[in-house]
Amino acid sequence: MKEKVEKIKYALVTGGSRGIGSAICIQLAKDSNYKLLINYKGNKEAAQATLEKVIELGGSGELLQFDVANAEQVNSVLDSWHENHKDAVIEVVVNNAGITKDNLFMWMKTEDWKSVIDTSLNGFFNVTNNLIQKLLVNRYGRIINMVSVSGLKGTAGQTNYSAAKGAVIAATKALAQEVAKRKITVNAVAPGFIVSDMTNDLDEKELKKMIPINRFGKAEEVAHLVSFLASEKSSYITGEVININGGIYS
Amino acid sequence: MMDKEEIIKKTNEFLIDEFEVDEEDICPNANLKETLELDSLDYVDLVVSVESNFNVKLNADDFAEIETLQDFYDVIEKKLN
Repeated sequence: MKEKVEKIKYALVTGGSRGIGSAICIQLAKDSNYKLLINYKGNKEAAQATLEKVIELGGSGELLQFDVANAEQVNSVLDSWHENHKDAVIEVVVNNAGITKDNLFMWMKTEDWKSVIDTSLNGFFNVTNNLIQKLLVNRYGRIINMVSVSGLKGTAGQTNYSAAKGAVIAATKALAQEVAKRKITVNAVAPGFIVSDMTNDLDEKELKKMIPINRFGKAEEVAHLVSFLASEKSSYITGEVININGGIYS
Repeated sequence: MMDKEEIIKKTNEFLIDEFEVDEEDICPNANLKETLELDSLDYVDLVVSVESNFNVKLNADDFAEIETLQDFYDVIEKKLN
């Protein structure tokens, strides 16, 4: 084998502009030497604000606009990024982009079923499938899939979201076995109720009664876990789903 | 256009250099997977080597046609021309 040339290492966070994704970018800037690739779909301002915080913390990175649900766009943006960064490797992939379109199953429209599957499940495929060969060649990598307590126990009103996240959990376990030999770990993180745009409309006062820790979690708390999984310290953990939910599911 | 001999020479060179194959083990009828001691994930290295040497990208369907080194040269030639 040829001697390995040291490449510039990047961590890609999809849906990195806001909420948990943004907190992950900031935590990785604090804890690691990775340059950040902050993916966003529509909110460039929020993505820019995240990048500025990363830079304030002494990190660096760039914005990458694409919709994870659009395979063609994902491939074209990531391929051209690699074309322009031949000395770089995306070593950490955090599949965080997700959407919800909640409704009782009996009222659920086909498009709301499909769009949630497209972003949360197919988005994982589109991004990870594009990057996996390069990770295999790199012989080291971290893939972290943001799932949800919904994907484990199911949540009423979220059959689409629960199905998508449950599928990603299964894919996490399968892919982990495929690539483990090359020191690539694949894990899933399953947050419960976390304060973010996604949970803005929920009644925290009412819901926290069912959470043993008696409050919603903070995005930073999730980011700490992701940062650990993204580090070399987590090297013997793969194919796992790690709950972070204040004790609601065990 | 690259002629067959050139393809074979170049391929053998990277097989020896990058995949640590002994020169005497290289013959057209040799089984590619066994000669290179490839496991399923190792094919990715072969894809990368072929791409960097010939600027063509092999996919899973191409490998389905390949059993021997001769097949391997043939597929590269087909892709190139």
